[in-house]
Amino acid sequence: MFRRLTFRACSLAGVVLLLAGAAAPDTIVRPAKFDYTMTTLPNGLQVVFLEDHSTPIVHAALWYHVGSKDEKPGRTGFAHLFEHLMFKGSRNVRPDQHPSWITSVGGQANAFTDEDATVYWETVPAQYLPLVLWLEADRMASLDVSEEKFKTEREVVKEERRMRYENQPFGRLPEIIFDKAFTTHPYKHQTIGSLEDLEAATIRDVREFHDAYYVPNNATLVLVGDFSTKEAQGLVEQYVGKVTRGKPVPRDIPKEPPHKSETKFTVTESWPLPAVVVSYHITYDGHPDAYPLHILAKILSDGDSSRIYRSLVYEKQIALAAFGEAKLIEHPNLFYAVAIVQPGQQPDAVQKELQAQLDRVKAEGVTADELNRAKRQFARDYILGRETVQQKALHLAHAVVIHNDIKTADGEFDLFQNVTVADVQRVAKTYFTPESRMLLTILPKTPTGPGGAR
Amino acid sequence: MTRCVRTNLVAVAVLSLGTILNAGQWPSSQPPKPLPARSVDFPPYQIKTLANGLQVLVVLHHEQPSVSFRLLVRAGAVQEPADKPGVASFVASLLNQGTPTMSAQQIANAIESAGGIIGVGSGNELSFVSGAVIKDKTDLMLGLASDLVQHPAFSTEEIERQRSQAVSSLKVSYDDPEYLANLVFDRLVFGFHPYGRPNEGTPESIARITRDDLVAYHRAWFVPNNALLAIVGDLTAEEAFAAAEKAFGSWQRRDLAEIKATDPPPPTRRIVVIDRPGSAQTEIRVGQMAVSRTHPDFLAVDLAIRILGGEGANRLFGVLRSERGLTYGASAAFHTYKNGGDFVAETDTRSPATGEALRLIVDEVGRLQREPVGRAELEGAQDFLAGNFPLTIETPSAIAQQVLAHMFYGLDLSEIETYRDRVMKVTPADIQRVARQFLKPDQLSIVLVGDASVFADQLKALGFSTFERIPLSQLDLNSPTLRRSTPAPSTESREDPPPA
Repeated sequence: MFRRLTFRACSLAGVVLLLAGAAAPDTIVRPAKFDYTMTTLPNGLQVVFLEDHSTPIVHAALWYHVGSKDEKPGRTGFAHLFEHLMFKGSRNVRPDQHPSWITSVGGQANAFTDEDATVYWETVPAQYLPLVLWLEADRMASLDVSEEKFKTEREVVKEERRMRYENQPFGRLPEIIFDKAFTTHPYKHQTIGSLEDLEAATIRDVREFHDAYYVPNNATLVLVGDFSTKEAQGLVEQYVGKVTRGKPVPRDIPKEPPHKSETKFTVTESWPLPAVVVSYHITYDGHPDAYPLHILAKILSDGDSSRIYRSLVYEKQIALAAFGEAKLIEHPNLFYAVAIVQPGQQPDAVQKELQAQLDRVKAEGVTADELNRAKRQFARDYILGRETVQQKALHLAHAVVIHNDIKTADGEFDLFQNVTVADVQRVAKTYFTPESRMLLTILPKTPTGPGGAR
Repeated sequence: MTRCVRTNLVAVAVLSLGTILNAGQWPSSQPPKPLPARSVDFPPYQIKTLANGLQVLVVLHHEQPSVSFRLLVRAGAVQEPADKPGVASFVASLLNQGTPTMSAQQIANAIESAGGIIGVGSGNELSFVSGAVIKDKTDLMLGLASDLVQHPAFSTEEIERQRSQAVSSLKVSYDDPEYLANLVFDRLVFGFHPYGRPNEGTPESIARITRDDLVAYHRAWFVPNNALLAIVGDLTAEEAFAAAEKAFGSWQRRDLAEIKATDPPPPTRRIVVIDRPGSAQTEIRVGQMAVSRTHPDFLAVDLAIRILGGEGANRLFGVLRSERGLTYGASAAFHTYKNGGDFVAETDTRSPATGEALRLIVDEVGRLQREPVGRAELEGAQDFLAGNFPLTIETPSAIAQQVLAHMFYGLDLSEIETYRDRVMKVTPADIQRVARQFLKPDQLSIVLVGDASVFADQLKALGFSTFERIPLSQLDLNSPTLRRSTPAPSTESREDPPPA
């Protein structure tokens, strides 16, 4: 089952100092590729090893392929609540002992949940790799949460929702956007879930969820750092390799039906300024159109020279902030753009300008200069996003779990550099259609109060 | 469904039987022993001072084809006119908004087309320009940075654009309870000392700042003999120093003015409630003045605050989150500057739990001062700090940041090497000594931002009988009472008089 792909980029040969005219195609230094090893254990666990001896530390990222899109109706927020419970004890580990063991050796540990996956990670001095694998194996095999711990932690998660979503200006913005834009697919709800659904969750749900999704055949372990692959593989087999394979993982996620006409919504929130949104349904991460869509998002929204910032914030001064994103994840999602309206400006006019910036690409395309700039910005993000062991593990695991193809962890660099001006205009025409469009306006609930303070 | 879990456990038990003779294998009940450790030293770096006084630090790293830099100017809110908070932040925001030869849009396009990024900002006692770029454009980035830091145009058009942005941003910030809590807390602890002033200014002060204010501040402080430059990344030391000389060598040295430091006010118990009706949570801050970064007891105080609420050993997290489920986050932080510092315990909790959370925090601060910390608890915090060392030198930027911090505060660079040994030498008696010396539980500054109608009665019942209740619309950081002198229309009334 070993598949060893070894390739070191010819690092210096590719360096070209470009002084040529702005519209000429750019040549960008190709960062070194990952020299990894990948294997699948008999229990179904996929494991990736990447040796990095620059600092004597090791990072372990254990991805379970379950996120908030796997949640059933009435149980929104459960995947994330479950993530919290993974710190609440297993057969040989007392509640909260996992992170305190890790910090007592100078390491760091945490976890996060998104729509598609739940990720547990540790970064430790390299000699503590066995401890990390032992801890992860123990909770994968024998999570054991008491009713009391479950209820306390549910309160913690409710506080997390209040803090991030309800008590901050614009905190609920993503929740409103995705709720309005989707009708059917569970991307309609946020990973944090609703207070009502969190309250409805039971300890019985916890056991079912662990049984269904927290099995080695639904997990990918990526190790990056100062170890020998041979020794690390022995340790992985010794601990996580001993966890029993589970049943096949359910994947019955409802599809979003095609949208047939433009939708418009206006809602109110207790925010200090209005916000306007324009969104379009797009494709999934890994689709060939995903790369030009990312490039388009950069041209529209990355930096002070991007179109949306330049027009709405700098030149017209109608928005306090404005940005757009191609949210490319495992299933088809949205291209959306947001503007926070400057006091005294009309939300409708701001929304029209935002939409005009997106539509203009359909009619006029983008310039070669803009494309070159976006590719350089992409290359910068690619390079700066692969500095730490944690970042390297993130890219490798994402390629395995979301793309189901580890080669994309490196291959995306070339896919992005090959995007053309025509590709960018084509995806704008393909996806920025009236049928797929949503226009959303969020107005402050009460008019602005007296005094400068509010 | 209990059965499903049992089935799993049976499978586990069977497996363990098969491997029972092999001690140390999972599922053993004890964690496995570590592998042999590799010794680790702080990575090499080089420092040179240019003829104009600019100190240059170089850290090399050849894994990724990028170069980054960070230029620190030793001037921030402390150096701005006392009646015009926001000047330092205003100047920083205009650094990349035009020079005599380049417009703001040309600057943005130049750096972004190179695959680079440049950021600007300021704090209490420093301003910075920092950036990163693909390495073939290093000279372009450093040349641009030098131009920005030396020749900001401060054009009227850009000043007005930034002014409007700053006022609108404050409008949003003043609706953010976390921002408000930090702002009011700093103001309570440091009074009208510069550390207590809002770095971003207030809507009133921003309206009063003139172009002359900006030019004068920039001219006085943005000189090479008042700055530090770090260059980090995929180049040789010779290339890095040559690039620094080429970009910054012609920057003219000038003499610096002396700043008269004022003393912060003595600690006084003061509880301020910023009333924000409809809040889902209350933001809580509890703390007071501590010591400066260069104080001999810095490490002992740092460990004490970590035991209260830092990584490794964290009483607040344990009590407020793990035991009681009152919050997502509970922590304590120790902030240090050149001439002072403070510690703050912080959390946010659902409005009805405000009184309970505040009581628990104040009790924990008192306990730290009253009782010696346990040896195991201290060792937990020490082991984290010492063991964490290899994680803090992973990236060249993190290495540079540690060296820059020592240079900035004028600390002996050998302290970086001896850090782990010094951490391990701190004893429980040291912790109790500094806790007794610097923690004054009866003189805490306390800030609550939330819906006062829900928790005001709880405070009285818990013994916090004297507090000031200030409607958000009447908050004025420039006033000793924190209130507008001509109150904005409001239905709220004051609960209690402020302490004399």
